[in-house]
Amino acid sequence: MRILQFASSAAAAIALFQLSFSQTSGPTPASPGTQELLVVRGAKIYPVSGPAIEREVLIVRGTKIETVGAEPKVAIPKGARVVDASGKVIIPGIVDTHSHIGIFPRPSVPANEDGNEGTGPIQPGLRALDAIYPADPGIRMALSGGVTTANIMPGSGNVIGGQTAYVKLRGRTIDEMLIPGTIGGLKMANGENPKHYGRENQAPMTRMEVAALARKEFTKAQEYKRKWDEYNKKVAAGDKDAKVPDRDLDLEPLVEVLEGKRIVQHHTHRADDIMTVVRLSEEFHFKVVIHHGSESYLVADELAKHKVPVTLTIVDAPGGKLEATQAELEAAAILEKAGVKVAINTDDFINSSRFLLREAALTIRGGLSQTVALEALTRNAAEMLDLQNRVGTLEPGKDADFVVLSGDPFSVYTKVLETWIEGEKLFDRSRPEDLRYATGGFQVANRYPKLLQSSMAGAR
Amino acid sequence: MKRARICAPLFIFAVCSGAFSQKIAVAGDKLYSAGGDHQDGKPGVVLIENGKIVGIAEGNKIPDGYQRMQAAYVTPGLIDAKTTAGISGEYNIPADQDQDEETDPNTADVRAFDSFNPTERLVEYINTYGITTIQVAPGLANPVAGQAAIFKTRGPSSSLMTAEEMAVKPVSALVFDLGEFPKQVYGKRNKPPETRMMTAEIIRKALVDAGTSQRKWEEWNKSDKKDSSKQPASDLKLESVSRVLRGELPAIFNAYREDDIATALRLAREFKLKPVISSATEGYLMRDTLKSSGASVLAGPTLQRLDGFETMNATLENAALLADAGIPFALMTGYESYVPKNRVLLFEAGIAAANGLGFERTLRATTIDGARILGIADRVGSLEKGKDADVVLYDGDPFEYTSHVTAVLVNGRITYQAPVGK
Repeated sequence: MRILQFASSAAAAIALFQLSFSQTSGPTPASPGTQELLVVRGAKIYPVSGPAIEREVLIVRGTKIETVGAEPKVAIPKGARVVDASGKVIIPGIVDTHSHIGIFPRPSVPANEDGNEGTGPIQPGLRALDAIYPADPGIRMALSGGVTTANIMPGSGNVIGGQTAYVKLRGRTIDEMLIPGTIGGLKMANGENPKHYGRENQAPMTRMEVAALARKEFTKAQEYKRKWDEYNKKVAAGDKDAKVPDRDLDLEPLVEVLEGKRIVQHHTHRADDIMTVVRLSEEFHFKVVIHHGSESYLVADELAKHKVPVTLTIVDAPGGKLEATQAELEAAAILEKAGVKVAINTDDFINSSRFLLREAALTIRGGLSQTVALEALTRNAAEMLDLQNRVGTLEPGKDADFVVLSGDPFSVYTKVLETWIEGEKLFDRSRPEDLRYATGGFQVANRYPKLLQSSMAGAR
Repeated sequence: MKRARICAPLFIFAVCSGAFSQKIAVAGDKLYSAGGDHQDGKPGVVLIENGKIVGIAEGNKIPDGYQRMQAAYVTPGLIDAKTTAGISGEYNIPADQDQDEETDPNTADVRAFDSFNPTERLVEYINTYGITTIQVAPGLANPVAGQAAIFKTRGPSSSLMTAEEMAVKPVSALVFDLGEFPKQVYGKRNKPPETRMMTAEIIRKALVDAGTSQRKWEEWNKSDKKDSSKQPASDLKLESVSRVLRGELPAIFNAYREDDIATALRLAREFKLKPVISSATEGYLMRDTLKSSGASVLAGPTLQRLDGFETMNATLENAALLADAGIPFALMTGYESYVPKNRVLLFEAGIAAANGLGFERTLRATTIDGARILGIADRVGSLEKGKDADVVLYDGDPFEYTSHVTAVLVNGRITYQAPVGK
């Protein structure tokens, strides 16, 4: 429900976990342990935590940002590797609050589809991390679009779809991708999609039942939590005979939701469905983020009043399903004006992650300011995943996740030149094998060079 | 916040009453005519009378007697060379999906014209993004899919209401679908085609049968026509395919993969057709072959989801690579099965422009080049004297996603005007 007020406790939890997990590193040699000093100078930097400044210096020590500031106030440390980024633009690594890369890998064929366990509408025990395929080319494509952090989610076919995974886009295994100390969110959905069970005469067939199923499950979780609280109290009081309650894998993540440790990431489109989510979140006191929110702008004042944030999926045209027919490019601007915190997501494969910056440009077309559009891709998105103490801005102490652009972040002509995660350059447009993920054609990369012996080379 | 669905007060009388202003002058700080003597990118004024362009005046002086409109950028109305807008509705429910007649792999007799819903909101929607002409084609399911049609679009303040009023060409092409879709649709019902072999066979058979029928008709027409029992039977499918054989109707082959494009070119050679390839995801891998075949390409959405097997090699540079090779091509949006239900040509163009095609070639690929491939360049595609007054006004670079279309004219009438302040 509220994004900001539970930030500090989660940050403490992250700090705690970091002690034990901080040695988990990416796949390539730039190990965080070396504490290598990197200086990127000359770029226009949008730190998002403050205004953009020309010819700034970004200093990275190991995996973390040490300094962001202007020369000559900021001295260039001796022995540092210096990268000249003059004339370029740097923004924080983009945080995608809603992605299906890795869990619906490309090519999309049944053999690859692992996002919707369509055998029952309540699946809180499932973990996205058990299905994410790190070799999905979609992940490298997302990197080429400047995405560094993603919330990878199960699909929206179930009322409770499973546990989401907060990852960095690096690594050969899911363990290398997962952000240490995070447990992910809980994917839920209402509206049209979970009603697909009705076609086989199974529940849910109506929106009433979708809500009832959610309510029933959280009521069970309250009871389960009470049992464990009582048991823990007895143990704490020294009762050696206290009987351990049976574990329930479905209810454990819901208890984490009730305790504010796990945010509900809720797929919902229509205004009445959005208000159903608000109602449930207040009934069970859980923190929630509205995803897609096609009609969220129609209830912007309500969302502001209840302090519910929205992460929008921006689509070129309305429709494709009834509940998305009222989608408007103006939604972000209307929500922002009403005081609702807004992020912008890809819902990749709905939108390719390579175009997340373009989607944000469409919200500017719809009236949002450039400043807020950039916040929506970074800081606001980080807050919706409770990761604001690690990512989302370029500030000392944050992860060194940043994107080097060829120009204005929201110009269609601008290219993502480099994507860095925790001090490591993971995408470089000047490397031919990386370029093919930005443009496409990576499977036929051996045939590509011949094609480019033409005027194209100059046009690039 | 909602797009203006009613006429702006200023134009209530002029536009909504039907008694539209006879003379309009559209001044652009940067006018792109995509043809004629005007130097693109320089200031200019499009002079419109009775729905037609009567001339381009250089500079920014507006002659007396014209209603004045002004914008930073002015271009011809954009042409979406192949779409399902108007036959595949925004709700995506059986009630509004009329693009694929999935009951027979050969539906050469069906016409998109008869499915077209003029008041479909997606048509109005794309009009507000400057798309004034669309070739509406049957979907992706049938090896012989049916007949396309070309329409003008209607906008929020249009008076056009029927397919007849909007039509530029009621029948503009015959569409053939190759690749995964036909075999997916029919294969799962254990009906042909289940393989690419059968898809090609169905198309060949349709063309051979049409040739046979045509020969019989020619013989009948040459005969004394006395024995009516010898008159060939009328068959709408055969007649439709015969028009392709006679070169009266272009053949559009929708194909993604290199081998499927090659199949289309092979069929075209066998039956002496001048093929148009739509989608052409892997077209960039076989530019020499495409070039020597004389084919035109309706480049698939550059934003095309790189998802299924046959689109895994999609590249944003496809348009630029085809253009470099001198292959005639235009941009299209094609068909979308889910969210979003329609792509917007203007947004596709932005991606193409930014990935090697550049501004001016992209402009041509969305205007005059499309008009030429579709055979309608006498009416649309450039801002030249005598052409339909289809004009788009923008407040910035048309292909920047942050710019706005400020007004759209179709046949000299304002179909869309952005709300004040946009």
